[in-house]
Amino acid sequence: MADRRRINGPAGATLPPVYLNEDAQPSDDSKISRTRAANAIRKLYLKTGVTPSASGSAYLEIEAPGGGAVSGLKLSCTVHGPRSLPRSTPFSPHIILSTHVKYAPFATKQRHGYLRDPMERDLGTHLEAALRGAIIADRWPKSGVDVIISIIEGDQDRQTSKSQELGSWETMNALAGCITVASAALADAGIDCVDTIAGGVAALVKDAGDNNSPRIVIDPIPLEHEKILSACCVAYLPTRDEVTNLWFKGDLPASDMELYTQLVETGIQAAKSANLVLVECLHETMG
Amino acid sequence: MASTQTLLSPAELAYLHSSLSLTPPIRPDGRSSTQFRPLVAETGILPGTNGSARICFADGTEAIVGVKAEVERTKSALTTTEDETVHRLEGEFVEGLAGAGGNSAGNIDEEDNDGLEGQNEWVELSVEIPGYRDDDSGTVFLSALLTEALLADGNLTKKLRINTRFHWKLYLDILLISPPLSYPLPLLSLTTHLALLSTRLPRLKSEGDEDPFFDDDWAAAPYLYPRENGTSGKATLRPPISLLVMAVGNNIIFDPAKEELAVADVALAVSIGDGKDNNSNAMDTDTRNLRLLSVRTIDPPSRLTPPGVPNATNTAYGAAAGTTAQKQPEARAAESEAVEGVWKPPRGGAKPLVMAALVQKVLEKGGVTDEVLDALDAVELE
Amino acid sequence: MPLDTSAYNLALLRVDGRRWNELRRIHAQIRTQPAADGSSYLEMGHTKVMCVVTGPSESGARRVGTTGGAAAGALGSGGGGSRDGDAEVVVSVVLAGFSSVDRKRRGRNDKGILELQSTISSALSSSLHTHLYPRSTISISLHVLSQDGSLLAALLNAATLACIDAGIAMTDYVAACTAGSTSTYAANDEKADPLLDMNHQEEQELPGLTVATLGQSDRVIVLVCESRVQVSRLEGMLAVGVDGCKQVRDIMDKVVREKGRRMLEEGAIEKGVGLEDMDLD
Repeated sequence: MADRRRINGPAGATLPPVYLNEDAQPSDDSKISRTRAANAIRKLYLKTGVTPSASGSAYLEIEAPGGGAVSGLKLSCTVHGPRSLPRSTPFSPHIILSTHVKYAPFATKQRHGYLRDPMERDLGTHLEAALRGAIIADRWPKSGVDVIISIIEGDQDRQTSKSQELGSWETMNALAGCITVASAALADAGIDCVDTIAGGVAALVKDAGDNNSPRIVIDPIPLEHEKILSACCVAYLPTRDEVTNLWFKGDLPASDMELYTQLVETGIQAAKSANLVLVECLHETMG
Repeated sequence: MASTQTLLSPAELAYLHSSLSLTPPIRPDGRSSTQFRPLVAETGILPGTNGSARICFADGTEAIVGVKAEVERTKSALTTTEDETVHRLEGEFVEGLAGAGGNSAGNIDEEDNDGLEGQNEWVELSVEIPGYRDDDSGTVFLSALLTEALLADGNLTKKLRINTRFHWKLYLDILLISPPLSYPLPLLSLTTHLALLSTRLPRLKSEGDEDPFFDDDWAAAPYLYPRENGTSGKATLRPPISLLVMAVGNNIIFDPAKEELAVADVALAVSIGDGKDNNSNAMDTDTRNLRLLSVRTIDPPSRLTPPGVPNATNTAYGAAAGTTAQKQPEARAAESEAVEGVWKPPRGGAKPLVMAALVQKVLEKGGVTDEVLDALDAVELE
Repeated sequence: MPLDTSAYNLALLRVDGRRWNELRRIHAQIRTQPAADGSSYLEMGHTKVMCVVTGPSESGARRVGTTGGAAAGALGSGGGGSRDGDAEVVVSVVLAGFSSVDRKRRGRNDKGILELQSTISSALSSSLHTHLYPRSTISISLHVLSQDGSLLAALLNAATLACIDAGIAMTDYVAACTAGSTSTYAANDEKADPLLDMNHQEEQELPGLTVATLGQSDRVIVLVCESRVQVSRLEGMLAVGVDGCKQVRDIMDKVVREKGRRMLEEGAIEKGVGLEDMDLD
């Protein structure tokens, strides 16, 4: 549906000029290679209480690797509630959770309109499933809480003009970030949860070069690898050792159950690493 | 949609939960834990489409899927189009840049010439569920799930390529005819599977990169998913299917009905592909080569069910009504304790082991997936 | 491909080989879906329509539901008879993307669909005894699987059959069909023959109208004419249309009676006292 309420940008996509870097060696491979260890996530910055008008809020930033070839991820999350529901809403014994994930129009190379597109709605559904398991919902009957996440800068490679649309692998990274930042904001809003909840991504990747066999890495960046074979994003409750949301995607032989389990395990590892930052951040706020 | 409230009382939920947790589980409709609901299926019901199918489940839910294909000009930022000079300029500029970059230009050329890769935009899938808007989060989730499975291995989009300048655009319209009595995922997925199997595209008569023209003879049109011996026989490569599986207590239950889903501890949608390995061309035709394409957690509606109140804390049954100050800590304590026979919505997530077991059960050799695929094989294709 | 109207005069045959007063093949089924309160399937030529009726059920039930309250916002519109004492008839029409030759996606706020919905809703609420079901909703959902002209007529007929299957009290059948004229407005041909039951090709080129009558009476309850036509030709078209409606009514009546007889034979329903008096031929 067309957005008629705002002045929109031109309908046809315009390609931003990509200038050749003077310093870049012509022979240099345009792909950057992964310098982190296979089990290391990128550096995270997390801060709560950034939006004073909201009941709870948090800001998350993931460092941009590879000297600016890939933009980092910047997320801001606000939590409004618990608040009473409008009169017309029927009785609910639980808190009604609604989640919105929205890319800012300028977040990626491809402009996002103001209306949420199906991909953003899909992310919202994933986030809802992840958070609903963590919130102790029956402590607030007849009330609602809104979790609103704006992705200020999306994880996207800046150099290649090949992938115009947001690749599906980037959305997994974005979802993991959304889960972590939402958990911090929920804690900031003082909404009771069974545990902190952290998101992590693991992927089975194939690196450039002939002799490399596929390996599992955490926090993958598509540009760093030749090809991503499959990936999974988990929402994990660390102290309870439970998964509230699991999203796996790719192409794995069904006979190789071991590989799948390993991938999920690695995803949990990634979530645990993110949780360290989350807990540290919450401690800081308390103290 | 999974979160649609079920109108069951806490007592009913507790009863359902305990009967489903028994070994073996007792399901409300008397099925075994791996049994599917009986269904009636037919294909090729709409002559105006490239492929169509209809499935009716015994509980009365019905879906129709129609597939339509249109020829479209392949858009690419890197290939120059004759009539669009702006594009050409951009194209040359970027290509020049990529050339300077060395390796990447080589990759792109290779891709264009080999004609192997397809683009994900070539498949458009829409789900229509009566009573729900098409941008409702549940509908979007369902269509994202089905699309994800279709595109996962890239085999489908590869088939849609005509030449470097043209491709087929495939539109899949999924209609749920009846109101959603249960979570419609298995129904929609199976119907889509059959519709794609019956899909045919006109036979291409032109060669190379010239403007495509096609054979008028519909009988000569090849199937999108080729069959073993010409037009009859089983398809060698099949579209994916997505199955709904849930866990209650220690049991794993397939194809849950709405009431069963209302007491689920965890529910997963698992998409499985069947076909030859991308790497090895030699394939044994007798054994299936199942591939795991996608797994998604479905938010179980059980989290939204009303909790039961144990007699010990129910003032109507003689429990002392404390003052508000006292009540609060007591209520907290009561929250955490599970009382036998009193329904308590599940809280938290599922253990990773449980999730792995669910997926394992779906992928098991000679298990449910094989059974479902066998049953689908038996459906007479038009 | 433009329709060649000049050929008609040579053999008095239309593009699909029919005479001016012939209907296309009408095939109808009722109770196609065991789970629904009422359901039907109707083909008029290549126009294929499915209908599911839910209700009469408690009003407001649609508003209860998914999280966020308004998320389940009713798709259907065109409520008729929404006064408190009467049942509300909510109609939703879904045009499947694959229904026409060229795939065309129509949004849920498409004005054409909204108009279809409100026409069907008001037509049916005038025939249904909505006062017998106060404060309730009858929701009719129509799916168009294939389009080849006379869409509104097919939708009205399918909705009528589904309402009968649902056992909702109604005055009589709402039978609908289309009528047209053999030459275009521009030709200004006074001697043009009226045509019965137009297909898509004829609808594109020739003036036409949709008419629905109540049962065997001559009472017109829907009359939609969206094309330009000389007043002198209108009367003939209307007369042919009304005559066609009677034929459609007889066909639908036969379908209902046949289904009723079969259900009696199979013992699906018990032969009640009231049924004995009925003429089940």
